[in-house]
Amino acid sequence: MGNSSSSGRGHHDESVDYGSLVPQGVYTGPRDWNQAIVSQLIVGRRLAPFYRPLEEYEDSWDDDQILAARKELPDLDSTDSVTRIEAAPSAAAHASSYRSKRPGSLKEPARPEAQVYRGAVECPICFLYYPPNINHSRCCDQAICTECFVQIKRAEPTTTHLVSEPAACPYCVQDNFGVVYAPPPWRAGLGSEGSNPFWSDTQRSSEPTAPPTHKRRQKSFGADSPEVVTTVDQIRPDWEAKLEAIRAAVARRANRRIIMRQVGDRLIPVGVTSGRVHALSPEEAAAAASAAESNGSRRGRRRQGNQNGPFEQFMGMAGQDLEELMLMEAMRLSLLDHEEHQRKEAEEKKKQQSTAPSIGESGTSSTEAVGPSETQSRPGPGPSTLETRSSLQASTSSILSSSPSSKRSISPAPKHTKVGSQDSLAPGRKSWSISRSRTPPPPTNPVPNLPVSEENQTAWRNRTTGPPAFSTLSAALTSTSTAAAFLGAASSSEQRSSRSVTPEPGSALLVTSSVPANSSIPTITVANNDTESGITTTRAPSAISTKPTSQDSESGAGIGFGSYGPLPSSPESDMDMSYEHSMGSLDSTTKMDGQVNSGAAAGSAFLDEHSR
Amino acid sequence: MASISARRLAKELREIQSEGCPVGITLLEANDFSRWLFTIEVMGESLYQGEVYDLQFRFDAQYPISSPAVQFVVTGGKQSPIHPHVYSNGHICASILGNEWSPVLSVIAVCVTLQSMLASCKVRPTDNDRYVRNAPENPKKTLFHYDDDT
Repeated sequence: MGNSSSSGRGHHDESVDYGSLVPQGVYTGPRDWNQAIVSQLIVGRRLAPFYRPLEEYEDSWDDDQILAARKELPDLDSTDSVTRIEAAPSAAAHASSYRSKRPGSLKEPARPEAQVYRGAVECPICFLYYPPNINHSRCCDQAICTECFVQIKRAEPTTTHLVSEPAACPYCVQDNFGVVYAPPPWRAGLGSEGSNPFWSDTQRSSEPTAPPTHKRRQKSFGADSPEVVTTVDQIRPDWEAKLEAIRAAVARRANRRIIMRQVGDRLIPVGVTSGRVHALSPEEAAAAASAAESNGSRRGRRRQGNQNGPFEQFMGMAGQDLEELMLMEAMRLSLLDHEEHQRKEAEEKKKQQSTAPSIGESGTSSTEAVGPSETQSRPGPGPSTLETRSSLQASTSSILSSSPSSKRSISPAPKHTKVGSQDSLAPGRKSWSISRSRTPPPPTNPVPNLPVSEENQTAWRNRTTGPPAFSTLSAALTSTSTAAAFLGAASSSEQRSSRSVTPEPGSALLVTSSVPANSSIPTITVANNDTESGITTTRAPSAISTKPTSQDSESGAGIGFGSYGPLPSSPESDMDMSYEHSMGSLDSTTKMDGQVNSGAAAGSAFLDEHSR
Repeated sequence: MASISARRLAKELREIQSEGCPVGITLLEANDFSRWLFTIEVMGESLYQGEVYDLQFRFDAQYPISSPAVQFVVTGGKQSPIHPHVYSNGHICASILGNEWSPVLSVIAVCVTLQSMLASCKVRPTDNDRYVRNAPENPKKTLFHYDDDT
């Protein structure tokens, strides 16, 4: 009995009609509902209290049998669970008389703790017995205990399923599951003091002898009827916040760009920008801020002290970071692998040939038009690959031609000098010129994640603050098609490569990874190689939201995550992502059947077995 | 004390043992509350006449709030039925095992549903090979696209 005091305390501090405000441990999972709201609803007699369930119930049982059948449940909040059940009958009876100090219960021969179970009903979900004052589904009037009720929730939104559908009734599958609760005519515990005119009159008669029986009602309650407690809106007010968090994560991912570097004849993914930090235009930023503010305050009011939200958001971000890290590592390995390959190739070539500009020959006529920097052309071995930039036109062309359906239109525009190209390309002008506007300094270290040196920052700033280098952007757009071909996203490359311009050699290309369900404008950005670790190089999407928008919206998954696949050194991320990608396309409401090319998951041919 | 899953499964098991399984379904093994095995046979005239399949249930601690992982056994010489909604790795594409799972359903209810599902045409799903190649070990990890072909 040593612990009975704590159990007793639980009873008179926190009981409502001989039930508890907190779950009795039927479920052991996380309590992800808002307990404060649930408690409030229980005290307000809008939700049945958490009664300790009976394992079995017979109408013929006496009080002792009932109390003995109350299942011993782990008390997650205290340690007295072992002695609790032994202590319960006498201690609870004592506690109740001590608690109420009311004439009605002082010499109660029948123990109300047991009496409330008279006519117990079985919850169809947990198969345990509860006092007859149990919740009933608003739609189909089925019993459901509070333990089970708080378990039912919206399907958690995922990054591939960005909607949060209201929980359906487990019995009749009607949307917006909610329950109604008819409290007993008497009151005990919290909320009983002076508030119940029936107490003294009815307690003795109604409680022991006339257990409330549930009369089957004819009508169902609407979801917005005031009697109804709806799971999603009332006991989990943070569902919106969760949804927003997931959406934000997806938006980050959509904003994230793969940084590609054109090296020799290939586009090498060298990194990925963080989608989290991206340059918003002042208007966008202001709009976002005000939106967040209004959202926040609204949600804050309704959340009522929920602590889970921010923590889970934080967790989500941590996961995001890990994913980014893994992606970066995969890309780094890929780059190293490629450089090794390049080195070997260069050595081969050195041996085999000394005169012929073989690379140029493999390309198209555009090669001949290459400007003065053509002379710099040489197959770059390894780390110095950037010096091979003048071979890019040819190589790009060959990449493009490897994607059969791409309509190539190598720009015949004369090659610009650095100054000339910038002058001729005003922002917004849809001219697809060769962009040789900039000669990037050869990096001393090809590995991504270079710390952004001051020099590089300056270089980049100079570049972007000058007349907007639209040529570089257009080049990047073109390179998207190249990248698409390179990445092997067959279906998307068909749509993307309708235009082609010579990409800026040696520059890092940021290819938007567009996630299917996200409707934001895919962007492609050009960045300086040396700042490619990239946060600072990300440009606002609005800057270049011209043609590629339509292309990308058609192709949807485009160079989405599923297309990361061919990264040679990351088979695992490949599988994960393509799996996720396919799920996304299956899931998303946009029509994307044709996009599922990874084959990791079911196509649209999957059939549904309806049992009904 | 046992988890809700064990608690409810114990009750389901007791009911199975006291009332027996429906015709064509037998409990093969229920040594614990994490994995149960049933045999399932389509009674009467059907394409599956005389064929007996093993059906495996796996439960997590959140059963019945979370659905059981149900699949046909395809090891030890066992095969999955040839059916448009069943893959050769034993996975089953049925909405009640996925997004239409309800905690009100029980193990026996699932068995009966699958039994009645088997009474249909005898064609492998068209994307069987591709799915099987990439499928996760646990069918619950697959997000099926359910078509309404009622």
